[in-house]
Amino acid sequence: MTPVHAEALLLLKSGRNLVALLLLVALSVAAVWSGSVQVSGQQEVIERVAQAQEEDLAAVEQAQAGPRGDPGYAGYYAFMLTQDPPPALAFAAMGLRDLQPYVLRVRALGLQQQLYDAEIYNPELALPGVFDWAFVLVYLTPLVIIALAHDLVTGEREAGRLRLLLSLPGGGVWRRRVILRYLLVVIALGLPLIVGACLAAAPMTGTAAMLLTAALYCAFWFGLALLLGSLLRASTTAAAAMTGCWIVLTLILPTLGNAVIARAIPAGKGIDLTLAQREAVHAGWDIPKSETFERFFSSHPQWREKGQFEGRFHWKWYYAMHQVGDEAVAEDVVAYRTSLIAREDWTRRLGYVLPGVGAMTIVHRLADTDQLGQFAYQDSIAGFHEKLRHFYYPYLFNDRPFTRADFNQIPRYAPRVQSDSLAVVSLLMLMLVAALLAYLGARGIARVSGVQ
Amino acid sequence: MTGATLIAREEWRALLRNRAGLVATALLVLLVLVASFTSLERHSSIEADRAHYQATVDHAFDQQPDRHPHRMVHYGQFVFRPIAPLAFFDSGVDSFTGNIIFLEGHRQNSANFAEARQSSLLLRFGQLTPAFVLQTLAPLLLIFLGFASVARERERGTLRLMLAHGINGRELLLGKLLGHAAIALAVGLPAFIVLLGFALAGAAAWPETLLMLGGYSAWLLLWVLLSVSASALVQRPRDALAVLVGLWMVVVILLPRVLPEVAAARISLDTKIETEIVLHRELAAIGDSHDPEDPYFNEFREKVLAEYGVESIEELPVQYAGLVGIEGERLTSAIYAEAASRSAARESAQNRFVHAFSALSPLLAIRQLSMTLAGSDAGAHSDFLQQAEDFRYRFVQQLNRMQAELLPGISGEDPRISATYWQDIPRFDYQALDPLRRQEDILWPFVVLVGWIGGLLTIAAFAAQRLERIAK
Amino acid sequence: MSDKQQHSAPGPAIAIENLQHRYEEKAVLHGLNLDVHSGEIYALLGGNGAGKSTTLAALLGFIAPSAGSVRVCGIDPVTEPRRARAQLAYVPENVSLYEHLTARENISYFLALADAGQGTDRRTDQSTDRIEPALQAVGLAADAWDKPLAGFSKGMRQKTAIALALARDVPVLLLDEPTSGLDPRAVLEFNQLLDTARERKVAVLMVTHDLVSAVDIADRIGFLAEGRIEEEQQASAQSVRFDLNALHDRYTHPGAAA
Repeated sequence: MTPVHAEALLLLKSGRNLVALLLLVALSVAAVWSGSVQVSGQQEVIERVAQAQEEDLAAVEQAQAGPRGDPGYAGYYAFMLTQDPPPALAFAAMGLRDLQPYVLRVRALGLQQQLYDAEIYNPELALPGVFDWAFVLVYLTPLVIIALAHDLVTGEREAGRLRLLLSLPGGGVWRRRVILRYLLVVIALGLPLIVGACLAAAPMTGTAAMLLTAALYCAFWFGLALLLGSLLRASTTAAAAMTGCWIVLTLILPTLGNAVIARAIPAGKGIDLTLAQREAVHAGWDIPKSETFERFFSSHPQWREKGQFEGRFHWKWYYAMHQVGDEAVAEDVVAYRTSLIAREDWTRRLGYVLPGVGAMTIVHRLADTDQLGQFAYQDSIAGFHEKLRHFYYPYLFNDRPFTRADFNQIPRYAPRVQSDSLAVVSLLMLMLVAALLAYLGARGIARVSGVQ
Repeated sequence: MTGATLIAREEWRALLRNRAGLVATALLVLLVLVASFTSLERHSSIEADRAHYQATVDHAFDQQPDRHPHRMVHYGQFVFRPIAPLAFFDSGVDSFTGNIIFLEGHRQNSANFAEARQSSLLLRFGQLTPAFVLQTLAPLLLIFLGFASVARERERGTLRLMLAHGINGRELLLGKLLGHAAIALAVGLPAFIVLLGFALAGAAAWPETLLMLGGYSAWLLLWVLLSVSASALVQRPRDALAVLVGLWMVVVILLPRVLPEVAAARISLDTKIETEIVLHRELAAIGDSHDPEDPYFNEFREKVLAEYGVESIEELPVQYAGLVGIEGERLTSAIYAEAASRSAARESAQNRFVHAFSALSPLLAIRQLSMTLAGSDAGAHSDFLQQAEDFRYRFVQQLNRMQAELLPGISGEDPRISATYWQDIPRFDYQALDPLRRQEDILWPFVVLVGWIGGLLTIAAFAAQRLERIAK
Repeated sequence: MSDKQQHSAPGPAIAIENLQHRYEEKAVLHGLNLDVHSGEIYALLGGNGAGKSTTLAALLGFIAPSAGSVRVCGIDPVTEPRRARAQLAYVPENVSLYEHLTARENISYFLALADAGQGTDRRTDQSTDRIEPALQAVGLAADAWDKPLAGFSKGMRQKTAIALALARDVPVLLLDEPTSGLDPRAVLEFNQLLDTARERKVAVLMVTHDLVSAVDIADRIGFLAEGRIEEEQQASAQSVRFDLNALHDRYTHPGAAA
């Protein structure tokens, strides 16, 4: 029997360790399964909505299109669907996808009054947060590690085996024990992730980076467990102290950080811009139409010659007014986005020192399900909206009828390109913290496993 | 002095000599204070923001120039949900709901700008409120203080000594329970003082405050019973710690997260898009007011003409388009209301599914109770939505009536009515939902908590008997 | 037991010369001299705090003595603890092994641990060959071999630990208070075991304060007091090998040298 074999047998024959490991396997499998269910649920919703939307568009076409069809009415009634299908790795880290809309209809009117519409979700269900692999990694794995590693040396001392173990000529018993536990934890987390990634046809690199993050995060907790285990003489005290560390690092400091960030970086510009946009659009009715056109033409000079019309109302003015309303709040839009990005930035920075937040940031950036992913979706909607407006303008300004054939020409939204990325600095910082703790833990073990 | 009180006093002395325990307790107390302070500060800034916004938009509404009333129907009104006074104690779903709605004619817009949608993932770690500290962290502290209470005596052999000196198992356990119950209430005390201070200052109603105190006391006692009973049932302190932390993890962290997923998978909500499409279709099925051949609106016209006793639309003393507007609003609102109640029914079915498991995870019970009493639960939010919708219907119809009644007297191709009329339009006057009227939402959590306490007392009684038998 | 290792270095298996050790300013050993030869059982007697544990710790390489030298089969446990430990087996006081493993599993586990880093020659799986004879030799009933230790009596645990030491098959055996807490019958069995060890030319150093047991089995007895050997007695060839009364006086009144 090789020493590693012997250690594995010893580990798996101990009830507590076996239960802890099996629990982690079960949680990890359940989380990947639950994440996959959520992903396929979102895919189904997208398909369902797309189907309903096709029918709706057909009905609009039926009602509005004709040889003398009015492009103004067509653009007014024809909502176009945009959708943000779950990224391949979303099953592991759902992030904000339970709150943020992943289907949104837009039409060629003012974008800013359409972009922030909320989809229906049940706030009470959203309150506790999603159950996914990232949750198991960040919250629950540390507890399993605590169960496995808090009494590595002290447990042997308390059981009266330490001197016997130390009297044996073979070395490396602690190293073997730690590495064995560490590998089993990483495998328990990693295998279900790999299976899920294969089923979801997720990219290899993203999956590998997630595994690396998990490995580093686990290394941090093992290091901390060994360090505390070496500083505290009683294993029960060590377990309590480690759970205390877990509470501080994953419950208290992140919530405190959130309170500080939310307070320091207000995001009220969203409301401001919505209110300002309403004023801009409605004031348009009360000011001379030429004023609205003048502003519109300064950004759309190609239609400058087409600003005249007979009567009180023309759709081209209506669309121009909406566009001018959007342009009037452009600064607010930038300020709003800037404040949200600042919140993201500070969260990421907090993650440099809080490994739980760091791991959270990295895996959700890899899965592209964080706020940045939502921004990318919003930007792609904005791009599509612009295409949609410019599609209608020639009909409106040239007074061209909108026929059935034209209905088929309406641009369709193509899902955005994934914006996932590797949060390099966060990963490096996690690596640093993990290496530091692993080193301190190893030193601590070396110290206490000497003679007493 | 009886044996039980002696043992309770001994337990307090042990805590006073346990440096780690004291530090942890002090930290939790500090955390409650920090949470109260930051949450109160956040609460008042939200309150001020929303009041300021509401005043601004109300003022802007009054300042609108002379207009066609239908333009004002689409200028609409913004309403902001005022935050409930006790929401500082438990912010509930407040960060997860949009708290601003744009109300306009024949559309139901969503409540937007939920804080959770504007925050990074950090918000999902939880929000630092006194409720979070009491619900999530206090149980862990009580576990740490209580897991060794009996198992320690057993391991050191003092248990046999005590029994040999004539203290029976029942007295011993009662003493430990008394000691730790007092510790638990001391742990909750700072939060309770903050609540009482609020009630004394008149910022919160007494019944809600007292029910809140009762609920949280029951919650803390529940964990005392759990940790002392577990400590009495196992052989070694560390086994008690493992069992209790595991239980905490399942009850406080895992189940509250897993159950919503199950509920969402079992009962799905329609998207807003689907709802709108269906509405559009149903409206189209009723009729088209612009179509002169439309049977529904032809009938409506005949009815109107008969009502006013005239032959043609031109002879009407009111503007017919305005009447059609009123009728259209009535029809769309009815369909919207139906869709909204369908959606609300599904949401509450999801919530009921989760709540049904509160017998398994009493956290769900205390959370529900706390949010309901704080006025920050989903029920209070949907009540706000309902009030906003009722208000929307009233002011839109008032504008429609203005159109019908005032416009015939005004000539010109761009008829407008005086801006002074805008001030006759009511402003949104939100009436906070009285938690005490929602007896079921308060009663059930109490039943669950009391049920748990009862069950645990039975287990404790069993453990007390077993204590004597095992000590031999 | 087939490939019994004989230490080839000349001289005693355990050689301690002028050993001195301080522990936080307090001298625990000053000038201890002690030899144990192969096939000899040496009982080191002493009261609490006489320095018995420190002597064992020095042999195990747990401490670096302030002065003097320690050799296990000619190897310095301070500079080469691994090589030194490879020559000895240690049975601590109050033996505790893994409660959830069986006797056989425990021995197998510790053998694997002892073999780790010992090169490949002993990696080959001979554990069964080594374990069963050892268990047999210590007289542990065969039906207990595959039962978890949690149900073992103190004597059975002791036997398991000594079986482990025998299975290690090393030239030096260090025993820390081996008879404490054993009933007379178990002590008798233990003494028989040591006879076996003597026959196999193992050098046994037992540290004890149990005079009676030492008298029964030891070839030599050393009295440790205030960090040095105060007196040493060799067993005579007669059936009464030691004068128990004289020894008892010696033991209870250290320092009053004759």
